[in-house]
Amino acid sequence: MRLVAKATVIAVGAALWLLAAHLLWRSSVPSGLRAPRIEETHLFTAAFLRRSSSYERFLEVERLLAIVTLLVVLALYARHGQRLMRESAAGRVGTGIMLGMLGFALVWLAELPFDLVAVWWERRHHVSHQGYVPALIESFIGLGGTFLFISLALAVSMALAGLTRRWWWALASPVFVGLALLSTFAGPYLVPNTHPLHDPAVRADARALARTEGEPRTPVLVQDVRRFTTAPNAEAVGLGPTRRVILWDTLLDGRFSRREIRVVTAHELGHLAHHHPLKRVGWLALFLIPAAALVALATRRRGGLARAEAVPVALFVFIALELVTLPLWNAVSRREESEADWSALRATRDPAAARAAFERLATTSLSDPEPPTWAYVLDADHPTIAQRIAMVEAWRRRAPEAAGEPPGRAAAEPAAGGARCAGQERCSSGAPERRYSSRTRLGALASQASTTTSVSSPTPIRSRRTRTAG
Amino acid sequence: MDSHPIQLHIDDDLSRTRLTVFFRLLLALPHLLWVALWGIAAFVAALANWVLTLIGGKSPDGLHGFLSSYLRYVTHVYAYLSLAANPYPRPDGRPGYPVDVEIAPAVRQNRWSVGFRIVLAVPALVLGGQLGAATFEYGAGARGGGLIQAAAVLGWFAILARTSMPRGLRDAAVYGIAYGAQLWAYLFMLTDRYPNSDPARALGELPAREPPVGLEAGGELRRSRLTVFFRVLLALPHLVWLALWGVVALVAVIASWVATLFTGRPPQALWRFLARYLRYQTHVYAYLYLIANPFPGFAGSPASYPVEALLAQSGVQNRWKVAFRILLAIPAIIVAGAYSGVLWTVAVLAWFAALVTGSMPEGLRNAGALALGYGVQLGGYLLLLTDSYPYSGPYVRAQTGPDPSPGGPLPALAPEPA
Repeated sequence: MRLVAKATVIAVGAALWLLAAHLLWRSSVPSGLRAPRIEETHLFTAAFLRRSSSYERFLEVERLLAIVTLLVVLALYARHGQRLMRESAAGRVGTGIMLGMLGFALVWLAELPFDLVAVWWERRHHVSHQGYVPALIESFIGLGGTFLFISLALAVSMALAGLTRRWWWALASPVFVGLALLSTFAGPYLVPNTHPLHDPAVRADARALARTEGEPRTPVLVQDVRRFTTAPNAEAVGLGPTRRVILWDTLLDGRFSRREIRVVTAHELGHLAHHHPLKRVGWLALFLIPAAALVALATRRRGGLARAEAVPVALFVFIALELVTLPLWNAVSRREESEADWSALRATRDPAAARAAFERLATTSLSDPEPPTWAYVLDADHPTIAQRIAMVEAWRRRAPEAAGEPPGRAAAEPAAGGARCAGQERCSSGAPERRYSSRTRLGALASQASTTTSVSSPTPIRSRRTRTAG
Repeated sequence: MDSHPIQLHIDDDLSRTRLTVFFRLLLALPHLLWVALWGIAAFVAALANWVLTLIGGKSPDGLHGFLSSYLRYVTHVYAYLSLAANPYPRPDGRPGYPVDVEIAPAVRQNRWSVGFRIVLAVPALVLGGQLGAATFEYGAGARGGGLIQAAAVLGWFAILARTSMPRGLRDAAVYGIAYGAQLWAYLFMLTDRYPNSDPARALGELPAREPPVGLEAGGELRRSRLTVFFRVLLALPHLVWLALWGVVALVAVIASWVATLFTGRPPQALWRFLARYLRYQTHVYAYLYLIANPFPGFAGSPASYPVEALLAQSGVQNRWKVAFRILLAIPAIIVAGAYSGVLWTVAVLAWFAALVTGSMPEGLRNAGALALGYGVQLGGYLLLLTDSYPYSGPYVRAQTGPDPSPGGPLPALAPEPA
């Protein structure tokens, strides 16, 4: 009888989960959209395709090795990590926090060689000019952020586990979702060095696009990042009254035409118009509930998460689940990016600018236009360049009248094209997220939901190396 | 443990003459000039001593005597200049000054240690810089900022007011001078014993005290390399929590100040809250600065950590001292600034040492504990946990016995009453 009740609860839970997933999966991109097959050989030269392929394959293999290392380190830590409890005088929760941080410290040490190799490879291909020492420092500082996050997560989980023992996960998941909502809401206030758009033409375009996208009150701001990077990017952040689009000043430094900036702005507004930040929180909730339950199950042999010695096991299980669900996260992200692209096409009605921008982004960031399937599934959180251009062509076919001039375009402006940006080191945008190391993926609990949907990827300024453009 | 071949002897009654103190810097000018001139010869002699010690394995007696005299003289001059001693020093460095240094005769030295002496001395020079004792003629005094200089400046005002040097300030200055003497003896090849930063070793006899707020630094000297390497990042959650707690503590201390001003004693609930905050802060800083090894708890519970703030229950406080607490604390804040430099330096040096050896050098631990302990005293004073003024020098607990054993606790204060 008890078994039947249990099975019923699980079945109802699974049905609700699937229903929620279905609702979140819905997209405004027409389901019957027939995107033409775009041959990359028609878009790019053979030399470029060879170079980008070689460049990407190396990084992809390196990332896979990093993941294997990550899992090995965490597995060993799950087995032996409890020995480090002697380094604590902090009681149950404090010791758990320390073990959590030390787990990530070990992962950081193990992944460091891979990070440095990636820096070397990107520098060799002039995709990045970041030095090794700054990369190291940046990575170390990032680890500090991870420590703070894991401390909070473990403090909440272990405190709840101490109170409720086996059912902590049912309480912890809503707490984390609440924190993610709070983070999404308050995140825009933490974005440094922002100011309103100064260029009157771009400002006027942004206002018009915001009206068109149904976001008339959403401000479009500029963030000064030139000191840190040359990569152009933009992001959509916030929730409700804090929603805003942030364009990096590197996007406005003259390399991008006004029409291309319109496409980027419309893309970001599209994210907000379709509530992608909120949807991310929804997806996070869908991930967290079963993941937390599995963590609770896996840690039972060590007395449950109320005990500090269970923390290394919890880390291993949680990170493994994140890696297992990585293709799902990427699929969700790609779907939202496609929707934002589609929204931008509808708002700007300028497929030529969109196509030119995508082509240029590929050439300047050495992005493989058609990666192999395994790399696409594991690594790509944006559609491939070929897919994005295919969508542009599909839109053009559905709205042939729009193939001409976009509304409001300055007559004297040159046609959008890649020439002005070609040859520059980093033009950015639309790239798959490069890394799915423990640090970035665990940070997902906060960042997947909290922020960004961006024209390229949710790229923290100082972490550009790992998420270059494409 | 063997006594260090460079020993400081103190025979000073703390009484000072206002007139000579007022003009102390000017009166010392001829000596400073003589220190500089003699220093040129000493520099050449030190180079010769380095070469000859490298060849012979032992410092030649003549050079050893010449450099010992110079070092003794510099010690006298800087004790005079920093108000750690009163009489005008002799220009020949002859023994017998109230703050004097005894230098053991030349013995055989390890040639490797002699060969790489300058490199090996770098950590000691860094710490000596923070103490104000690292330049050729303790010249950090010219730029200020070291412990010796902070003690001298504050001592100058104190002596002009009451004709005697406060013992704590004198001992703080003497601690720096003692470390400087060991450091320069090491650099001059007078000994191959590394300078010992342990206040108990540097000064020999320490006063026995039992102030109401103090520090007990115990625990093992072993350090986990993993936690040491990531120590700053591991302390981040604590620092965030401490900052949040600090906001509430600020409100509490204001409330306590108002209440104490009226009633003459801090309300018990506020006192306990602020005591807990200070205890937690002590745990966190002890962890951050490597004075202790284990990860501390987040609650500031008493007797939960090897490095503990000891707080005697509050009694009646002088209302004038309460009313002007911030102003009165300014001299202590200056000393705390000097000690914080020492603490940072200790932490950095200990970080490297612990990564290499897996343990914390005892001298560094105790130097750090001295600096941290002063911060605890100042914290207790500012948080109105006591109206007893922070004592700036090293001391031992009144009821405890002799020197601490290696790895054992630094002599400290009585435990907090229940």
